[in-house]
Amino acid sequence: MLKKMLVWMCLVIHFNGISQDVSYSSFTIPPELTKNANAVVRLNSTKVSINGQRDMSIVINRVVTVLNENGNRVIQAGSGYDKYVKIKKIEAIVYDKSGEEIKKFKKKDFIDHSAVDGGTLYSDSRVLFMGYTPVSYPYTVAFSCEVSSPNTAAIPSWKAISNYYVGVEKDVFHVQDIAGLGLTKKEKNLSALGDQIKLTDSNNSLHYEVEHIKALKPEDLSPSFSSIMPKVLFATEKFHYNGVDGVAKNWQEYGDWINQKLLKGRDEVSDETRIEIEALVAGVEGSIEKAKLIYNYVQENLRYISVQVGIGGIQPISAIEVDRLKYGDCKGLTNYTQALLKIAGVKSYYSIVEAGKTIVDFEDDFPTLAQGNHIILCIPDEAKNRNVWVDCTSQIHPFGFIGDFTDDRKVLVIKEGASEIVKTSKYKDNINHQISNAMIELKEDSSINSKLVITSKGIQYDNKFYIENESDKDIKEYYKEHWGYVNNLDISDYSFDNDLENVVFTEKLNVSATNYASKIGDRMLFVINTFNRNKFVPDRYRNRKLPFKIQRGYLDEDSFEIKIPDGYEVEAIPESVSLTNKYGEYSLEFQKSENVIFYKRKLLIKNGSYPKEEYKEYRLFRKSVVNNDNLKLVLKKTI
Amino acid sequence: MMKRAYIIALVMISQLGFAQNVKFGKISKEELQEKEYVDDKAANAAILYSDRVTYYALSTNGTQLVTEVHKRIKIYNKDGFKYATQQISLFKTRNDKENVSKLKAYTYNLEGDKIVETKLEKDQIFHNEISYNFKGVSFTMPNLHEGSVIEFKYTITSPFIWNIDEFKFQSDIPIKQLVAELRTPKDFDFKATQKGFLSFYSRPGNAYNDMKSVIYELNNIPALKEESYVDNMNNYRAGVMFELVSIIIPGVVHRTYAQTWSDVAKTIGSSEDYKKELDKTNSFDDELDGLLGEGGSQVEKMKRIFKYVKDNITWNGIDGKYFFNGIRKTLKEKKGNVGDINLTLVAMLRYAGIKANPVVISTKDNIIPMFPTVDRLNYVVAYARIDDEVYFLDATDEFSDINILPIKDYNWRGVYIDNPNSRWDLIDLKQPKKAVDQYMLNASLNPDGSIEGNLKTRCSNHSALKFRESYKDKDLETFVADREGALDNIEISEYNASNTDSYEGLVSESFNFYYENGASVIANDVFINPFMFFKLEENPFKSEERKFPIDFGAPFQNRYLINIKIPDGYQLKSQPEPVSMAIPKGIGKFLYKPKVTGNMIQLMVNFEINDAIIGPDNYLFLKEFFNQMIIKESEQIVLTKV
Repeated sequence: MLKKMLVWMCLVIHFNGISQDVSYSSFTIPPELTKNANAVVRLNSTKVSINGQRDMSIVINRVVTVLNENGNRVIQAGSGYDKYVKIKKIEAIVYDKSGEEIKKFKKKDFIDHSAVDGGTLYSDSRVLFMGYTPVSYPYTVAFSCEVSSPNTAAIPSWKAISNYYVGVEKDVFHVQDIAGLGLTKKEKNLSALGDQIKLTDSNNSLHYEVEHIKALKPEDLSPSFSSIMPKVLFATEKFHYNGVDGVAKNWQEYGDWINQKLLKGRDEVSDETRIEIEALVAGVEGSIEKAKLIYNYVQENLRYISVQVGIGGIQPISAIEVDRLKYGDCKGLTNYTQALLKIAGVKSYYSIVEAGKTIVDFEDDFPTLAQGNHIILCIPDEAKNRNVWVDCTSQIHPFGFIGDFTDDRKVLVIKEGASEIVKTSKYKDNINHQISNAMIELKEDSSINSKLVITSKGIQYDNKFYIENESDKDIKEYYKEHWGYVNNLDISDYSFDNDLENVVFTEKLNVSATNYASKIGDRMLFVINTFNRNKFVPDRYRNRKLPFKIQRGYLDEDSFEIKIPDGYEVEAIPESVSLTNKYGEYSLEFQKSENVIFYKRKLLIKNGSYPKEEYKEYRLFRKSVVNNDNLKLVLKKTI
Repeated sequence: MMKRAYIIALVMISQLGFAQNVKFGKISKEELQEKEYVDDKAANAAILYSDRVTYYALSTNGTQLVTEVHKRIKIYNKDGFKYATQQISLFKTRNDKENVSKLKAYTYNLEGDKIVETKLEKDQIFHNEISYNFKGVSFTMPNLHEGSVIEFKYTITSPFIWNIDEFKFQSDIPIKQLVAELRTPKDFDFKATQKGFLSFYSRPGNAYNDMKSVIYELNNIPALKEESYVDNMNNYRAGVMFELVSIIIPGVVHRTYAQTWSDVAKTIGSSEDYKKELDKTNSFDDELDGLLGEGGSQVEKMKRIFKYVKDNITWNGIDGKYFFNGIRKTLKEKKGNVGDINLTLVAMLRYAGIKANPVVISTKDNIIPMFPTVDRLNYVVAYARIDDEVYFLDATDEFSDINILPIKDYNWRGVYIDNPNSRWDLIDLKQPKKAVDQYMLNASLNPDGSIEGNLKTRCSNHSALKFRESYKDKDLETFVADREGALDNIEISEYNASNTDSYEGLVSESFNFYYENGASVIANDVFINPFMFFKLEENPFKSEERKFPIDFGAPFQNRYLINIKIPDGYQLKSQPEPVSMAIPKGIGKFLYKPKVTGNMIQLMVNFEINDAIIGPDNYLFLKEFFNQMIIKESEQIVLTKV
């Protein structure tokens, strides 16, 4: 993953020289700002001065009143640093609820800690932060910090609303391009702030100011916080990052910079590997066929390890080094794979993506280093006029299948002289398809015995194909959890087929359960849908505030044959159900032939974005799906 | 609470039969060809050999504690690759630090018929300054493949000679062969405390140069696998902890440390903190005198002091059985560690003339100390005795009360330190009282199958504590929405919870609800589950077997009284049979009693678990008990239209 100092810079807040008429007493907060708030940002002022291509200073003054325990994380009295980014000054003062000073933190009182997470082998990123145990609430922290950084490629963004449950009294952001490097901005969702925002855009300087923002609460299914919140990104045409200068007006120039400064000349591999690859693809026709072999070779022989070395964690380890170690991070493995493809004469492009289950796009027209946290490879399939995307860090994903980690989003594809923003593969609703077929035998002792075949494709493949590598115990536990609503479930037999070529995962199972039906006198009662009950009903809101989004759709089709015990008959066959709306489709069909009931179910959920007014309707749709999935059938003894 | 000791059936481990010496670098073809671990085919990797020697060495820098580690690990598949990444944690202080040296590591692969070794290069060893107190040395092995064997060795030199790290004998992958040795000067007597559920023993090693040695040799150690409802897996990890009990240097010094629990209590009791600091009452202010001046019984005074400490001193999240700040500073800064808070509480109780003493414990997140130890005890609570009634108090937690300690405190017994009466002993903590939830539900069934009504709930003891914590953690709207979700998506209105801010007494809640899919209408019949949204959907115990005890935290009881009015024109067709069942030895009880009279359905349900901790020998009873309960709770009453 690319290192993002930027994140920390945003956390770093300032306090500097300017006389502040901020009150440190918690009594002076306008009451409407404390509603739903765990903390109120009294003042958050960020002042960025770009003094030269390699000289930027960031001054932060931040005053936060914490109202309860959950608000402690809003203080963010800390700053990241490394061998390039230096903390000049850092200080914090803690005040009690009436504004009396309780404690003062000087630089030496801050805790110095490595910024590596557990999964990273090495990184030189560090962080200074205030360690303070509050004794009562509310209390206020005034934090000030001055950071000097050569990385003009990483100008902090302005995010007036940092999180849910935070009220904002005042937030000021000021960027000044003293060096005249060509400051530009990209404003997002500013309309959400309405009249509250004041901005000035003068010679080489930009100023944003906002007051009085009420706290927001998270709601089920809302789009990601960062995608709906107001935000301004900044960049300069001339920039610098951890020792490397650059100039770029657009993605094409930006891509050239990455290519020339960070990637070029790093694609040598050992002679042995070269010979091995040449032998591997010898006689193979077609670039995609070759690429497939090489991707499998990489999966077989290399593994992912996060090591943040090189130019501030944005330059890949050279292919020759990866060749020797047989491991690398996303940059190193992608660059290595690209190098192997080149040997085989297959064209491919190093591509930067913002990875994660939540889809985040690159800005079409605004090149910055702040976008992207992962690298994938784009292989053009000219014969079919499409792109094949591969994630070289995965040891198990099939060739060309990227799953929900990098799907359906705009990424930067680095091509010499022609870098561009391109969208990755989308897994459409009906591609994420699960088909379940089951023969279920209900016995007179209320137990069931069944044979099941489930095939999954698309994102549904991604959600479960990994289980084939689990232990017997874990596989059985997976199903017991998966069908937790079937009490006393027993998996007597299972087998899997993972079709890597077509990306289809097939599960074949023998499943039984005791006491599945309940007996009432001479009747038996049971839920007809045994193996695919949908339980998801989003939370109810009396007053929904945010729009909602179904990020990925899916299609489930089930057909169950239920054989009822001898001497019983169905009292009443339920009526079929059919619901169709803009969010999806749901249908149930029932048929009876002698002692067998045929149950057919279809659930299609479509992806899409909708206004908050429609949330209630969608919720009702999901609720009726859940209710119908719980339909019960009554059997009656005939003899 | 020593129950736990016998709850765990000790598993014998093979300790015989290897005299073979495993030499660094002597990898066999068989090891490389091995496809799976014979005794645990699910293992992704296995430690083929683990050797650790810890000893005292005299160097120019004085005495050092040296630990030499040698490990050989077999990687069976890709999921085992993570064992090729290692991090060595080194402790440091302002003046001193642990060092690692002589780190050597190789990856071995079989290429054709040849064993190929790849060395870990120096530039692939990373030194991370993690924090003020810790440094990490990390590396991952090069040229790793499925089937590789990796091997490494290193030496840690530590100036912290009294801190011998726990010898861990179990990992989350199996260990084929393990040797661990501790060599100490003859005059130092270390007590070894074994932990975990494997049974093993030591043998003396060769003694020379006034040194003595103890060696552990274990074979085929199974992997330690996580189970749910376990308080702290580390309690069950096999290992040995060492603690200094005495030093005998003839003619010079003779110091004896803890050998029995009474010694432990005496050792702690003779510390400055327990001897002197506890009686420093001069920093108690007028406010306290004011509280005590109000008069009343000793019990009332105790309650006032407890509240005073809770309200005025905040816990800084740090455990400890000793003072960190001391009474004066704690009261001035209004915060402190566990010792600061609960020892100040003891001091104040004594000041009020109440017989009070500290009780030192080990919490659930620490260890279960089965053998006498001073160092491994991490926590202290207050004990008071008034008119032959015993009270335990822990003022660190916002919602804990007298005799309702945070659940983590109920791990084990307590070391009672009564310096005034020279009583030092091991005592039982007063077990948590049953947490009782009472539900009163009045509702009416509508002909369309929906049910509306009102629910009143009351929770006591630890259940009230839990309620208060989760209520405080969320805003009301979210709390109610979560409640709706947990109760089969009913719609709640007129929600009201009371006594949630206090830590005393019962919490109660009341609300109206609308339950859309309360009953199923099928043709002319209405099927209604009278237990409605209370019914347990899933059995929390799904595994076929269980190795470790199940920890419920505290005993509990849920009582339900449900009244549902039937609409006119319906009559009863059938109803579930009443049932009463129990787990042997009174561990659990379940009572289900439905009754339909006139147009009223009445259901009484009582469910109780009477032991906080249930041994794995009773696991299958418990599992079946839950199973039968689920079956009963899903039964329906059938009504038919007249």
